[in-house]
Amino acid sequence: MEVNLKTRLGPVELRHPVINASGTFDALSADLVLEADLFDRFPFSAYIPKTVTLRPREGNKPPRLYETAAGLLNSIGLANGGIDAFIKDDLPRLARLPVPVIVSVAGESTDDYGDCAGLLEAHPEVAAIELNVSCPNIELGGRSLGLDPKRTHRAVSLARSATSKFLIVKLTPNVTDIVEIAAAAADAGADCISLINTVHGMVLDHWSLKPVLGHITGGLSGPAIKPVAIRAVFLVSQALDGLPVIGMGGITTGQNALEFLAAGAAAVAVGTANFRNPLAAADIVSELGGLMQERGIGSVEELTGLAQK
Amino acid sequence: MDAGLIPASLCECPVVENRQVGAYRQVSFVAPEIAALAQPGQFMMVRLAGESLDPLLPRPMGVHDVDSDLVKMLVDPVGKGTVALAGAAVGDRLSVLGPLGNGFDLEGGGPAVLVAGGMGAAPLTMLAGALLTRGREVSCLLGFRTRSQTLAAELFQEADIEVLTEDGSAGRQGLACDPLPGLLDGQPGRTKPEIFACGPAAMLAEVARIARQQGVRAQVSVAAHMACGIGSCQGCVVKGSASYLKVCTEGPVFDAKDLEWK
Repeated sequence: MEVNLKTRLGPVELRHPVINASGTFDALSADLVLEADLFDRFPFSAYIPKTVTLRPREGNKPPRLYETAAGLLNSIGLANGGIDAFIKDDLPRLARLPVPVIVSVAGESTDDYGDCAGLLEAHPEVAAIELNVSCPNIELGGRSLGLDPKRTHRAVSLARSATSKFLIVKLTPNVTDIVEIAAAAADAGADCISLINTVHGMVLDHWSLKPVLGHITGGLSGPAIKPVAIRAVFLVSQALDGLPVIGMGGITTGQNALEFLAAGAAAVAVGTANFRNPLAAADIVSELGGLMQERGIGSVEELTGLAQK
Repeated sequence: MDAGLIPASLCECPVVENRQVGAYRQVSFVAPEIAALAQPGQFMMVRLAGESLDPLLPRPMGVHDVDSDLVKMLVDPVGKGTVALAGAAVGDRLSVLGPLGNGFDLEGGGPAVLVAGGMGAAPLTMLAGALLTRGREVSCLLGFRTRSQTLAAELFQEADIEVLTEDGSAGRQGLACDPLPGLLDGQPGRTKPEIFACGPAAMLAEVARIARQQGVRAQVSVAAHMACGIGSCQGCVVKGSASYLKVCTEGPVFDAKDLEWK
């Protein structure tokens, strides 16, 4: 049986369902560091660079990372050079990638979402825009905007009126009712929901009994959070029938990807696993294909949402 | 440091030896690609190959030495990642990405003073060899907490070595930096020495202070928690004089004057 791994996010066609989670794979840096031809054997079917903000951000005070049981706590703080530098310096180089580029943006205020989307609108090499309304590591009056359905609605509306591009909204799991937030995003014009961002967490040093991160708290990723993510994908894709969902949270194997797709995702993203192995996604894609073949699942479309049937 | 990046490869490498050296484990594995390219001061991201999710991520390990197809690393088993690596048995396979980072700049001239604290001695053994090969005079100051940790005798055979321990149980009592000002004074007419240092943050800060005071260049190798090793995660940064710098791709070796010291 021939397995069809192709999938689509609205107008964005993907040759397989595995993309990267923003902030976990720097294609430009990896292209310099890793053996040649990375762009030729690029492991993802679309590429999302690290989230950019309207103004440059230095990022949080180190230490920024700590490994936990099957997980990684981080508090990078959206370190980036700002959207103008991104458009000028990075975007032309990323346009050489053999896959669509999805640009992830975050606001330090609600208005920033509209401004960032507007600045990207004129660039045809931007296939889609991801609105990161869920970074746990930047302080917006102490609350990430994605914790609140009204503010999420406002941010997505502003971006929607600034761009006709495919609009993905990335949500935080750190809420009472993620379906309510997803519905607000959809109502404001989101084309796709991406979930989940990291789970709020904190680690104390075993000896000093003080927080290990410079920022005190951080976001947890990796296999430890996979059940949290599967639930979110299941609930949101069920509630927002017809709106594609990108599922992520602890995917390290083809079996994991299979489960996220069955839970309701149209595509999946690999994040922390890229730190284990920068080419992990290539193995995940080939394992996924093998598993679908073994189980007689002919296409990603057929697989998506099987858990709900 | 602005040495060009050398393309790193990801390999599964069989362990061929694991032996006790001082308080540490010296683990040797077969990695011809890395052995051929690695420069003193570069590092690798290493974990036990396989599906286990705990430890989840590789650990940054300095290239301690290379010997034809073999690469050696020194492991101080302090956390779950390094405990796992220290326990690697002959025949086990390691997942290794490397060589990574810039390494030391060897292009300067004149005498070299190498300063190491504890495990910081690991990358300096290869450095000492490379500097001696270039005809540079090499003196090493190796500081350890106590006798059982000292690495010097078998690892720095040809260089001029002074061992210091905090408790005085081996060598001279004191810290690695204690004899440094004396070594830098030098004689009139001789080129001022260049410092190469690797060790705990407090030691590196002291090296930077002495270097600034004496007007000599100091290259320091910095350690940090890392997730990816290739510039993706931005987790390993240190404060530079103008902005945060990534230890993995902009380091791990920095000119001491380019970092902010507390």
